[in-house]
Amino acid sequence: METQRKFIVPIGPQHPALKEPGHFQFTVDGEIVTDASVRLGYVHRGIEKGAESRNWTQNLYLFERICGICSHVHATALAIGVERLAGVQAPPRAQAIRILMAELERIHSHLLWLGVAAHEGGFDTLFMYSWRDREIVMDLLESLSGNRVNYSVNLIGGVKFDVEDKHRDAILRGLDTLEERTRHYLNVVTTDRTFLARTRGVGTMSREQAELFGTVGPTARASGVARDVRVDAPYEAYTQFPVNLVTDERGDLMARFVVRTKELFESYRLIREILDHLPAGELTVRVPRKIPAGETVSRVEAPRGELFYFIKSNGGEKPERIKVRTPSLCNWASVMQVAVGHKLADMPMILSGIDPCFSCNDRMVLIDRGSSAQVWSWDELRRYGIEYYKKL
Amino acid sequence: MKFKLGTMLSDVLRSAFKAPATERYPFVRKEAPERLRGKLFWDPAKCTGCQLCVRDCPSEAIELIVLDRVSKRFVLRYHPDRCTYCAQCVVNCRFKCLNMSNEEWELAATQKEPFTVYYGRDEDIQFLLEKIANENAGERVECPE
Amino acid sequence: MNNLTVHPLIALLLFPGGLFLLGGGLFYEWIDRKLVARFQNRLGPRWFQPLADLVKLLAKEEITPQGVNRALFFMLPVIALASALTSALYVPIAGFVSANSFRGDLIVTLYLLSVLTLCLGLAGANTMNRFALIGATRTLTQLFSYEAPFLLALLGPAIVTKSWQIMTINYYAQQHLWMAITQPIGFVVALVGLMGKLELPPFDAPEAETEIVAGAMTEYSGRGLALFHLGKNVELLIGLTMVAAFYLGGLANPLEFLAKTLGLLVLLTVLQSLFARLRIDQTVGLWWRAGALLALLQLVVVFLLR
Repeated sequence: METQRKFIVPIGPQHPALKEPGHFQFTVDGEIVTDASVRLGYVHRGIEKGAESRNWTQNLYLFERICGICSHVHATALAIGVERLAGVQAPPRAQAIRILMAELERIHSHLLWLGVAAHEGGFDTLFMYSWRDREIVMDLLESLSGNRVNYSVNLIGGVKFDVEDKHRDAILRGLDTLEERTRHYLNVVTTDRTFLARTRGVGTMSREQAELFGTVGPTARASGVARDVRVDAPYEAYTQFPVNLVTDERGDLMARFVVRTKELFESYRLIREILDHLPAGELTVRVPRKIPAGETVSRVEAPRGELFYFIKSNGGEKPERIKVRTPSLCNWASVMQVAVGHKLADMPMILSGIDPCFSCNDRMVLIDRGSSAQVWSWDELRRYGIEYYKKL
Repeated sequence: MKFKLGTMLSDVLRSAFKAPATERYPFVRKEAPERLRGKLFWDPAKCTGCQLCVRDCPSEAIELIVLDRVSKRFVLRYHPDRCTYCAQCVVNCRFKCLNMSNEEWELAATQKEPFTVYYGRDEDIQFLLEKIANENAGERVECPE
Repeated sequence: MNNLTVHPLIALLLFPGGLFLLGGGLFYEWIDRKLVARFQNRLGPRWFQPLADLVKLLAKEEITPQGVNRALFFMLPVIALASALTSALYVPIAGFVSANSFRGDLIVTLYLLSVLTLCLGLAGANTMNRFALIGATRTLTQLFSYEAPFLLALLGPAIVTKSWQIMTINYYAQQHLWMAITQPIGFVVALVGLMGKLELPPFDAPEAETEIVAGAMTEYSGRGLALFHLGKNVELLIGLTMVAAFYLGGLANPLEFLAKTLGLLVLLTVLQSLFARLRIDQTVGLWWRAGALLALLQLVVVFLLR
């Protein structure tokens, strides 16, 4: 008779599979996972609190640094929200440049993810090649904006720089190369036998499950949920340059690969269209230093899904409250539910299938239980932490 | 859908016969793009002391020290280690006094001295440094909170 | 076959055993890493990198984790390296006559190489670390799955030679047409079996870096890790020698040894960079279904055509 022994495999906070810290506990029976739980919060930096002591322009740069891969969309969401509170809209050329950078960022993010997910599956060759091709996009971004990550394109009221003809030509040339390579990667991802053995039928999530768990972004679109903020609630110049939705019906890991790769093609098409029809005009519009009081909500489509900002102003130079809800937070539930029943070897790939961005995630939620609330001083908290880990 | 084995074979074989994609930095240096945001430089000739640059810096990396407002004697103290290279100050300045170099971007150092840079006319900087050395609380303008 | 005999002590310590083996193992590791890197369009390490890694590991502090059997923890890497080095006594290293040769030494050599894998599995099972335990399970599972087809594939040439002595098979292979051509299925199974034995991708589930950190070797550091790595390098060298001697027309002199083993290594690196990692259950399934059947088929063909 076998004794039921709970064998828990901890993945993280330090683990070669994770690029950022996060703690997962998989209860394993042999190689089959029977239970999964997650603990986040290792990258909490107090950004929302820090926003309250900086003025609106300084906050633009603070929020850009919530995440390295989706930095531009964070700044865009903040800029859009603040402009709406101030009652202005950025000029059409600035809007077009904003979404041009957003699409370039989407390309860079999806190529990065392709490499990382391949690496989790042991396919180092695909990892190296996709990151080599990602360098093309990074160089384009650097020549346009001046930096490879944290492009700092946005200003409250517009953008900082213009797209000139030589940049246009460089982008078009880079896109041609990338499109050819992406076609090759789509071929690899859909036909390579060893790769399919790792991704087909793994981590399947049906459409009802995807809607129940509240998944967003390519993870949801791979299960057939047709949800994309650029299509449902077009912002900035997406009204002028519409986006085609890419969905897949299978809902497994392979579908997520296919959806993201096809979104790359969609981004290439969109960028070419934007460059062809870039509206003329100014780059910025005048915005007062004190933003009028009010509350607003801005939603943008990050490479990982729907990014949601709540901005409240009390009429001053500094915000009253900015709340951020990032897409990765929504997708965790799907992983934890879907992981049960799979083998341990599938865990890294399922985890990276939702394209997790741990840095985006961490917010503090205050649960106020009324009178039983306890206020701790820094010393007490520190001592509590030391005792807690000594007991483990 | 046909399933193949070894779909990356063409890549692998082609790479065997061509040079690797790795850039052998620091022996080989690519030319930096024109818009690269490197170290900040300041031209004191046109500055009026409005301090818009100081007010919007996200990391308090620049300070404008006013020696004499009437005769426009200013010294800019810049901290490259605090700077986030966002170029907001460059955009804010109405007289184009500030610009970010695209040549000086290798800013790592092993001492602390390179991370406090003074810009201004030489005699002004001299004056300021002596003043600080004399432990006199010079007329410093802090970033308004 | 070269009749040059070396003083036994020199043969044991310097050439063609001992230091030459260790140095040769490091050299082959470098070629492997450099080629994989070039196939991935990147630079790859310089020639002294494996030596530098070895020296660095030997200089580091060795941490013995809690809850292990200390004697076992200390001795397992030593036994692993010792068995790998001992197996070199029976194969034609560097194209020279093997130091010792007797009837049936094919089985002894394979057994000694398996002792290395067994030591690795035991090392993983010795600790309380979850990753090491899972890695040990996977190592032993993989050992049970590829061992039979690999042995069967090496038996093909043995049957044709009518002997189980490695030097006899080597001599026979030199006289006749390359067995890679006369027994192609056996060659394929032996090649893939070698990849399984050496835990090269796509069969590197036992030491999957992204899943279980370093598998059975997770808890090792410093000297123990250095010895395990050395053992694996020597295993690479011996494995290549055996497959080259059997299937690629025997090894008569050092030049042939270098050319044939390096050619085989190039083939292995190409195969390494092409595939994603297989899960352990997929590996076992592949081996017990496809591998064993193909090896048996080859043996049947050999029997019939004898």
